[in-house]
Amino acid sequence: MAVIREKGYAHWDGRLAERRCRWAPIARTGIRLAFRKKGFKFVFAGAFLPSFFALAGLYVSERLGDFKALVQSNRNLLEIDPRYFKAVFTNGSFLFLLILVLAYGTAGLVSDDIKHGSLQLYFARPLGKKDYAAGKMAVVAFFVLMAAALPGLLLVAFKLVFAGSLAFLRAYPWLPLSVLGYAALLTVFFGSYVLLISASSRNARYAAVLVFGAYYFSAVLAALLKSVFGTPAMNLFSIPANIGQAGAVLFGQKPPLAVPAVWSFAALAGVCALAAAVLGRKIRGVEVIK
Amino acid sequence: MTAVISASHLSKYYGNVLGLNDVSIEIEAGITGLLGPNGAGKSTFMKLATGQMKPDIGTVAIRGRRTWNAPEIFRSVGFCSEPDAFYEDMTGLEFVAGLLRFYGFSRKEIGDRAARALDIVGLTGDRDRLVRGYSRGMRQRVKFAQAIAHDPEILILDEPLSGLDSLGKRKLIKLIKGYREEGRTVLVSSHVLPEIEALTSRVVLVHQGRILAEGDVPYIRELIEAHPHQVSVRSSDPRRLAARFVDDPAVLKMTFGGDGRTLVVETRKRDDLFERLAPAVLEAGIEVEEISSPDDNLEAVFKYLVGA
Amino acid sequence: MRLGSAVRETFGFFFTLGRRTGRTRTFALLGLVPVAMAVAARAILHGRTGDLAAVSTEILMVFFLQFYIVILALFHGTSITAEEVENRTLSYLLTRPIPKTAIVLGKFSAYAALMSAMVAVGLGASYFVLNAGRMGDAALYAAFFRYLGVLGLGVLAYTAFFAFLGTALKRAIIPGLAFGFGWETAIQYFPGSTQRFSVVHYLKSLLPYRPGSGGGRGVALLLFRLEPTSPALAVLALLAITAVFLALACAVFRAKEYVSGD
Repeated sequence: MAVIREKGYAHWDGRLAERRCRWAPIARTGIRLAFRKKGFKFVFAGAFLPSFFALAGLYVSERLGDFKALVQSNRNLLEIDPRYFKAVFTNGSFLFLLILVLAYGTAGLVSDDIKHGSLQLYFARPLGKKDYAAGKMAVVAFFVLMAAALPGLLLVAFKLVFAGSLAFLRAYPWLPLSVLGYAALLTVFFGSYVLLISASSRNARYAAVLVFGAYYFSAVLAALLKSVFGTPAMNLFSIPANIGQAGAVLFGQKPPLAVPAVWSFAALAGVCALAAAVLGRKIRGVEVIK
Repeated sequence: MTAVISASHLSKYYGNVLGLNDVSIEIEAGITGLLGPNGAGKSTFMKLATGQMKPDIGTVAIRGRRTWNAPEIFRSVGFCSEPDAFYEDMTGLEFVAGLLRFYGFSRKEIGDRAARALDIVGLTGDRDRLVRGYSRGMRQRVKFAQAIAHDPEILILDEPLSGLDSLGKRKLIKLIKGYREEGRTVLVSSHVLPEIEALTSRVVLVHQGRILAEGDVPYIRELIEAHPHQVSVRSSDPRRLAARFVDDPAVLKMTFGGDGRTLVVETRKRDDLFERLAPAVLEAGIEVEEISSPDDNLEAVFKYLVGA
Repeated sequence: MRLGSAVRETFGFFFTLGRRTGRTRTFALLGLVPVAMAVAARAILHGRTGDLAAVSTEILMVFFLQFYIVILALFHGTSITAEEVENRTLSYLLTRPIPKTAIVLGKFSAYAALMSAMVAVGLGASYFVLNAGRMGDAALYAAFFRYLGVLGLGVLAYTAFFAFLGTALKRAIIPGLAFGFGWETAIQYFPGSTQRFSVVHYLKSLLPYRPGSGGGRGVALLLFRLEPTSPALAVLALLAITAVFLALACAVFRAKEYVSGD
């Protein structure tokens, strides 16, 4: 008599040939999907506007004679030094445009996965929570680095080209490192911040509003607290103020707030730690019990 | 008999993608099954028929009234959409009653009608639970309940049986058939032939946005019968198995697979072949690993119909 | 169903639904932040009424006018159509015997009512906590209703504008954010009559103080470069903005077909 064989579930005990950057496909997909959104390229291009203005200022600073009338009253604005870089990359309009890019392009990074139940698909592959988080973080990193690190370094390069000498670099040899350090700070902070909010909602539209709203709300809250308590320490509740403070330190400038800069770093690190805790709880892998 | 739903040269495009292409059809009272694989254009036709979409070319009308921007037709039309989508923060009763508010019934009547509709689909015991906590089958049933709650004359049901267990399917099929007995019109879509077969004998075959065939189920079956079926048997000794079928008149052709274990039999009488296969295998003491019918699906019929 | 009845029923449906969603609770909690601030302010500044008045103005108007109503209206206004498309529930509404216009107007009214309630609770609680010592003063109530009126008009105008954006664009959130927090803030720096091309200009024109009239730092911030329009004209402008953008939203919703992501 014929035997009917059962085809049950079998655990695979072989060795897995792992790829080195398991997060890379997630990052690539995230970036590609962001660019597929209608109008995203336009919004992303907008994040480079402050850098273009800075480049124009930089050019003008090297051609002061040609722009005498224009710069008479704004001469100090056109002194190109680390303060100029700090002003360009920590000012409100740059951060506003950057947060707009992040709200549009990355707010759905985790919330879409939660909504569509894709987390199980991810974790049914040889991926860990860290790989998943790193992949998603890399998407944010791409946009932040493109908007902050790349223009920052290019501005240094253009300054040298326009000046026709290396004097600027000799005067501030650490400036490229400052640009990279500041961009790294923005990457880590905004990466954590965006993933924290994205993991808190299943609705990407709601997450986008929260990415922007929480950032803006922190500034309003800090202003309110400051007016109630009358102490500058309340500025630590403001994300933009903390970024400005940390940026000033990284660009070798006097911190704008009357509180130790280390507190601002601690406040930003606190958000990152909260993000790690929330992500760890929200992202659950599929466990196969042997 | 006059057409309840009629479409004339109806076409719909999603950008460059063709949703529906030059469809002309008249649907009369009774149950009509819209049958086709996923992406065939069934849902597009239903959305056009219910005025949720605007035709790019042609017209679609219910009782002679064009459906785009014509909300008054929905007094007599009930629609059950395909996506598993709800106002999740409502209970089943609130969901059905809430949607009944739009018909101008009194509060009492809304309550009575909602309760009755939920009773019909067997959800009375769960009507006060949030929809988000319902199982897939319950969600499908509450979706059906909202479509019938206002007692419509015409029911348009997009894949109403998907997600239901066999018992749930049987109940819903019985319910839908009851509407036909009352002289109402039901247009129901599915990609599963037996489901449509259980509901009605009047079938419209849709494929790639076009109507391939229209008629009763025996006619569609005939099309399938006329098309040779392939049955693949993977066994320990395919050649010995083949020897047992060589003189079978139902067999048209036999080929052996490259793996040395597969026999592919081509037949016009698939059911007869299956009947003979089991005793043949047992008598010969052959160990069978797998029996499959690579073209035993609607797609194969469609391929046949389109000459692919 | 007639338009009026259809709007009323749509209002009822979405007002009931809106009250119990998680995001309403989140936004309502956000609206209570000034109440906590007000309690803290009273505890810290007890007896110093001048400071208290300044703090009161800052808390109430900077928070509510430039953040809270904008974010509320942005989310709820764009939700009128976007949430139906995203959640694939639009077919439930489109297959009822009601005009499409009623869907927009009904949802708009339901969400405007919910938002107004959230604003009124947050504003009322914080305002009266701050001014607990002057409860017998009739002017206090007059000022409160004026603030409430300004914010109510703001809710209507912003929600109508964002409802239009939501019906016209597939992804309205980013243009909405750019308008609500970019344009509305940047416009005050523009010369001439440019600031009249914003909603916030008319809202600020209705505040019970004028440039140069003193007040707290919040007042200075709110009235920065403000060339106020007369209150009557400001009210008319806000109502006109509401009516025009609602009409546009209805027209677009009637003409456009929405394809869910299914």
